[in-house]
Amino acid sequence: MSAEPLRSRDLRKVYETRGAPATTALGGVSLEVHRGERVALLGRNGAGKTTFLKIASTLLRPTSGTIEIFGHDADRNPDLARPLIAVVPQEGKPFFHLSPYEQVYTYLRARGFPRDLAKARTREALEKMGLTDIQDRLAITLSGGQRQRTMVATVIATEAPLLFLDEPTIGMDPFARRAVWDALRELTRRGSTMLLTTHYLDEAEALSDRLYIIDRGRVLVQGTAEELKASVGGTLKVTLAKGAGRRELFESFGECVVDGGSCTVIVPPERLGELMAIAVREHLTATVGPVTLEEAFLRFVGRSINEDDT
Amino acid sequence: MRSRAFQGLPAFFWTEVLVQANELTAMATSMVIQGVVLVFVWILDPSLLGIAFCGALIFSMFTMGQRLLNEAAYIRIDHKANDLYLASPLSPEGYFLGMAGGILLVYIAPVIVMGILAEIVVRFTLAEVGLLLAVCFSVWISSASIGYTFSTFFRDNRAIWAYASLFFTTFGVVFPVFYPLTSFPASLQPIALLLPPSAAASLVQAAIGAIPVVPSRVVFGAVALAAETLALFGFAVYWARRTVREG
Repeated sequence: MSAEPLRSRDLRKVYETRGAPATTALGGVSLEVHRGERVALLGRNGAGKTTFLKIASTLLRPTSGTIEIFGHDADRNPDLARPLIAVVPQEGKPFFHLSPYEQVYTYLRARGFPRDLAKARTREALEKMGLTDIQDRLAITLSGGQRQRTMVATVIATEAPLLFLDEPTIGMDPFARRAVWDALRELTRRGSTMLLTTHYLDEAEALSDRLYIIDRGRVLVQGTAEELKASVGGTLKVTLAKGAGRRELFESFGECVVDGGSCTVIVPPERLGELMAIAVREHLTATVGPVTLEEAFLRFVGRSINEDDT
Repeated sequence: MRSRAFQGLPAFFWTEVLVQANELTAMATSMVIQGVVLVFVWILDPSLLGIAFCGALIFSMFTMGQRLLNEAAYIRIDHKANDLYLASPLSPEGYFLGMAGGILLVYIAPVIVMGILAEIVVRFTLAEVGLLLAVCFSVWISSASIGYTFSTFFRDNRAIWAYASLFFTTFGVVFPVFYPLTSFPASLQPIALLLPPSAAASLVQAAIGAIPVVPSRVVFGAVALAAETLALFGFAVYWARRTVREG
């Protein structure tokens, strides 16, 4: 397995539906995931994230382009790719009439794990996901978050070389999410690679080495969270309460985003003093904080929407 | 490392056994239709009870296909968990047959009870038992293949409930499974012999002397049942592999 865990070139997927215009879900996506990386795919609903993951996980055929899993063509030779991957499907649920222990253990056995190793891995994964106390309860009696943790435990127990996680922490409380993050970080330290989608941008930032932002089936930008945040024109975010009506005073600092009556401006640190002086003079309440990935995401995706509209 | 044909079948079989074993109510009620028909026959013409018991056994095996249809669609549509299994070394045919076998193992218990009752009523010879087992196996393979294949066409479980009941009840009850083939209109008997459950029933009916043995009819029914079993199973395996991936 010397090749890259995942490499796609100009991957396109067009859905043909009788009686409806064809829908382009992927319009030529090229991306790479390097060994040991955790990479996040970000995008709005319908951006093409799940379509990409389905093609990468050999469950959907692309219209054109290539996708390789550790050098194996995932479209032409899915049987060679499947032993190397494991997938947390979007909105997937465990069998309601299995306990978390049975779910994880039987899945590992179905993948060909020997009994003793399957048992050990099952116990370890359930412990990491905080499910040990409820490992023998039927999944039908568990909460939504506990079921989702069971799905994640099922997949991380495989320690597959390449993991695909489609919104893995949806419905989880903050503690459970962090437990998942820790487990995923440990897996990559052990040599696994992962590609995940999420709508939680704090999760993407905390977990990912690199991010791809995609919209309408195209990659808009890729880089580390820091690189993406830096590209929005500053590292500080100043929110001016009741500043919407005075936005002309701040437009020279950067783009003002109006939200209700407030105005948010991204500024470089060296211009913060100048901006704050104006705010004091105008009796505006200002809140200063770091730029988050959300600002970068909104900026890139918003720009994409505006370009398409024009 | 390439995933092998039928890889993971035993493990997924046990997965399904564990899942189904928690549905004891469904197992207990799986004999309701057969039981009702047997009561009707007992009241109306007890001399047909032997045929009806054989039909009940065959019908029970046939409805295993309906269970597979519902289960496969449920896992795919409601749980969205098939991706978890199919994007793995578990082979698609192992997934299909494991599911079918798991359902069979759990739901076979009431069928065995029915078989014991049938033995009390009919008094089978060893050869007849062998024939009954063979046709029951053929009907199970056929219906499981039909059930799994059909399950892949649906996107909504509500639609499945309606179609599954219509399909399995029509071919299992309307056609001569619980009653003699010779009571069916002569012009339609070849159609009955082309359908796995009624073909199986007619072979058993002939073997136990409930209907006259007509060699051409026996050969036609036997060949049709064997050929359809092989063809349906072969197609289901092909289809299981084909539908792992959407187009």
